[in-house]
Formats: sequence, C-alpha cells, structure tokens
Amino acid sequence: MAVYKRNYSAYTGTVTPVWTRVLVLARYAFEEAWSSKITVGLFVFCLLPCVLSLVVIYLADNPIARALVGGRAQEMLAINAKFFLKVLQTQSWLALVMASWIAPRLITFDLADNALPILLSHPISRFGYVFGKFIALFGSLSLITWIPCLLLFADQGYSSSQPWAMSNLQIAMGLLAGSIIWIAFLSVLGLALSSWVKWRVVATGVIFAAVFVPAGVGAIVSAVLRTKWGLLLNVPVMMSNLWQKLLGAPAPINERLSVPTLAIAVMLLLACLVCMGMLNKRIRAREVVRG
Amino acid sequence: MGVIDLDGVEVRLANRVVLNNLTGELHGQAIGLLGPNGAGKSTLINTLLGFHLPSKGKARVFGLDTHKDRAEIRGGIGFMPENDSFIGNMSGVRFVRYMAELAGLPSGVALERAHEALFYVGLGEVRYRKVNTYSLGMKQLVKLAQALAHGPKLLILDEPTNGLDPVARQRMIQLIKDIRKEGSIRLLISSHLLRDIDQTCDEVLILKNGRIASLCNIEEERRSNRSFMELETVGATERFSVSIRGLGCECATFPGGRIKLVIPDHIEARDLYVIASDQGVQIRRMNQRRDSLEDIFLRAMDNDQGPNDQARSANGRL
Repeated sequence: MAVYKRNYSAYTGTVTPVWTRVLVLARYAFEEAWSSKITVGLFVFCLLPCVLSLVVIYLADNPIARALVGGRAQEMLAINAKFFLKVLQTQSWLALVMASWIAPRLITFDLADNALPILLSHPISRFGYVFGKFIALFGSLSLITWIPCLLLFADQGYSSSQPWAMSNLQIAMGLLAGSIIWIAFLSVLGLALSSWVKWRVVATGVIFAAVFVPAGVGAIVSAVLRTKWGLLLNVPVMMSNLWQKLLGAPAPINERLSVPTLAIAVMLLLACLVCMGMLNKRIRAREVVRG
Repeated sequence: MGVIDLDGVEVRLANRVVLNNLTGELHGQAIGLLGPNGAGKSTLINTLLGFHLPSKGKARVFGLDTHKDRAEIRGGIGFMPENDSFIGNMSGVRFVRYMAELAGLPSGVALERAHEALFYVGLGEVRYRKVNTYSLGMKQLVKLAQALAHGPKLLILDEPTNGLDPVARQRMIQLIKDIRKEGSIRLLISSHLLRDIDQTCDEVLILKNGRIASLCNIEEERRSNRSFMELETVGATERFSVSIRGLGCECATFPGGRIKLVIPDHIEARDLYVIASDQGVQIRRMNQRRDSLEDIFLRAMDNDQGPNDQARSANGRL
C-alpha cells in the first residue's frame, strides 16, 4: 500500500509480541486521560499540598527558620509519621477527585461509541482490555500519591541534620503500600462504575457517591445495632485506620473508630471482587454485536 | 485445509441453540454469508472470532481452533462490524493506527499503514477529522480501513453496504472487488443484500434457523443451470420451433410468439439466430436465463424446511 498509488498490499513485516498489546491500550488510554486541560489543571492543583509540605520540611530543617517561628510552632514543624499521614491522607483524597475525572474518560468513550466489538476483535482479551485501562489510571494516580510522597520523604531524609531516613523507613514503606492499596482500589472502582454509566458527568458523581454514601449507611448500621462493624462500610474511616497502622502513626483518640486490619483487608478485597465482576459482566455484554 | 472449517458446530446462547450442527469447508476467495434475520450469521462470525465457545463440534480458521488459538486468529483477521463501532473523539488516522497497533504492528509502521489504508478507501482528505464528524458512508469506510491496515489474511465484513446511498454502495462494492482481485486476502461477507454477494463472492453459505441451508460455489451453480432460454419472436413461430427441436432442444411455444427452450451444451445462441434468419423469423428478445443467486437463495429456503416449517406450509396450502 502506498499513499500515492492508492492500491492495497499485504503487510509482511514483523509483529509485536501479544503481551505488549496491553501496553498499547495503556498508552492510548493515558494519552486520552491527559488530553484534557482539566486533567492537567487538576494535576497541578493536586500537587499544591505537596509544595506546601515541601515548605514545611524546609522550615523544619532550617535552624534559623525554626528560631524565628518560636517554641509553640515547634510541634507543628515536627516531621514524623503524623506529618506524613496527613500528607498521605490529603493526596489520597485528591486522588479520588482525579480518579473520578479520569476513569470515566477511559471507559465511557469506548462504550458510548460501541468500540468494544472492534477493540476486542483484535488479539486482546477482556482482562487485557481492563488491565490496559487500569495501568493508565493507576499510573496517573501514582503521579499525585506515592511518587510525590516518597519524594517528600527523600527530601526530608536529605535535609535532616540527623540520620533520619533509615530510622523512619516504616514511613516510606507505609506511604508506598498505603498509596498503592488506595489507588488500586480507586482504579478498579472507577473503571467498574464508569462501565455502567453512559454519561461521564454522572459517572464522576457515582464514583464519589460509591465512596461516601456507604459511609452514611455504615453510620446508621452502627447506631442502630450499637456496633462498630458499620465502620467497614465507611471507606474514609477504614482507610485512615489502615494508613495510620501502615505508617506507625499514633492511634486515634477515639478507640471506637478503630477497626481490625484483617477486616479492612477483607472488605477491600471483597469490594474489588465485586468491581471485577461488574466490569466482566458489562464488557462481556458489549464485546459482540448482537444480531 | 479450507479457509473456514466447520465440524458439527453447535452454539448455544442462553440455553437456546443458535447454530445447529454446522458442517462444511469453505475454500472461496470471497465467501458470502446469507440468511434471513436470526439465521445465525452474526453468531457464526462471533464464533469464528472466538467470542462464543461452541458447545459441540469445532470451528477452524486457516486450520486454527477458534477458541484455543483465538489470539492468533484475531491477529490475522480484519473485522468490520455491522453497527457503528469506533472511538468517536479520535481522528480517523489515530483510530486506524490504534487498531493496527493492537493487531501487532510497530507504532511507526502502524502510522504509515493507517495513512495508506485511509487513502486506499478514499478518506485521505478527511483523515485528521474526528470520526464522530464523519458521515455514515465515511464511518463504514473508516471501519474498512481499520480492518485492512494490519494486512489481515481474512477480512470479515458484516453488512458492509448497510445504510449506504447507491454511489457509496457502488464504491464499497468496487473496493471489495479490488481487494478480492489483489488476492492476498480471503473475504467473508455477511449481507442481507443478495446483489452485493452476487457481485463480490464466488462461494456462498446460506444459513436458515441456525442450520446450513446451502453451501455452494456460485459460479459452478450458474454454469450447471445456464441452458434455460426464453425467446420472443415475430413470424412463423411454429415452424421455427420445429426446426430448433431438430437441433436437440426441448421447446414449448406460447401465444404472442414466445418460446421457452432448454438447449443442450453443444448448441450456442448463434445457431438459433442462423435458423431464424433462414426462416425469416425475427428474434425480438432473447433471455438466456442464468440461475441467479436469488434463485439459489429461495431454493435453499424452500428445501431446508424443518418438520415444523413443512407442517406450517401444508396448512397454508390447505
């Protein structure tokens, strides 16, 4: 085939390995996600707390600045697990905003234009399709969660006058693990819900609702049954518990807000399985042209 | 080894048998897939693409099992679905490149072939426009371009002329003919329009109620039925019919100088003209009636009546 000849010729060149097709999907999904100026704007906004944290770390490690701030602020400038827990929490909730914007862009365009029969007629499975989209979303959320968090940790390790990093490695591991668990959960949840909602704006709202509405239901369950297990429906409380334990930060003052780690892990796993089931059902239904 | 081998294929969807014991070997360069609505055409295509697992039997494409080797099969197939199926907010060239990369072409090559495929189908000038701004005909063509870009061995076209105006339809038919002529791609074309299949295919598989109603080579079928002829004459029709009977033709005359005849293989139309000229008979119209695909299709629909259908027909006649 040549443009000027306008005739057809077969392709006889090399073909890429089948496993790399997932990366093609991920690349196109990533480009799709970041083609919007709103995504770029959100990204900049999501990094503002990190810049603020960077300033705090600078002040904390600068003797002149500490002297200027005075004794009362010394506690505010303490760079420890509690400080990084706050950073992680802030970034994680901003990640929810970002996921609720990006996830619908990755799936709803394909569903609205009925692209799945064409996409899946290529050598790519349903799992491969979802995994490609997952990589794009997970990668995008990584840019505002564990990557800046670990950079802040590294900056603190570098700026501190005392050997700080090695004695606080649990914080780094906690930041990494806590972020990965959260953004993996958000990615699966975002993709699953987006696959069931045709309109992007509605899908964004549904993702928020899926995180916060069960929290209200959980509060009612806890109040009516006089139990703390209703907290397992409260994603914000559940994740705060998990992050606090992973980072080794002080436990919350209210013991009633504490939930066993195993119960949290089981709950997250169950939620992910439900989401995978939803995705599988939706994509299976749309992969062929019914006729 | 045929292009498509069907060995007792049965496909069930929601506990309903949609394809029932399909057996046959398809060898044609361009294979037509015909059948009324609900006959199982799309299900057969989806089975060949590995979307449906046969509950019984095996289906093979180029000798590869449609379920076990579906990744390999899909790599060698270009599929143009019937309905709108594209990513609307992508430009034409980006969409075709994306599909070519998914089929296994390296990124740079995929871009090059995407441009070429779009020029080939006639969308070169609009390749940077978003697909959702294309007209219906352009959308059909961009689907064809994405199916061609990676150089498939088998091109599956599901209702390729659906919704096209006569000019666009003719252009699509011409493209299909060109692809067929080029020779490196086998075609499987599903269509409701007998004329499309007639113009583009050399073999036809007719489905009815999930069963094979007919599987035949269109050209051979035509050749075996080419001897039937209708004439309209002016002059001594009776004497003329006696003379052509003398040539070995079976012949029946009708009022208004009409003659129907079955001519043996060794008799040509020219022989009839010679006799007519000798006897001063004018042949006003000569219709050498070939067995059209429509006849083949209708015959297949009549022949393949199941027990229930036959009972219904009998009741209808009574």
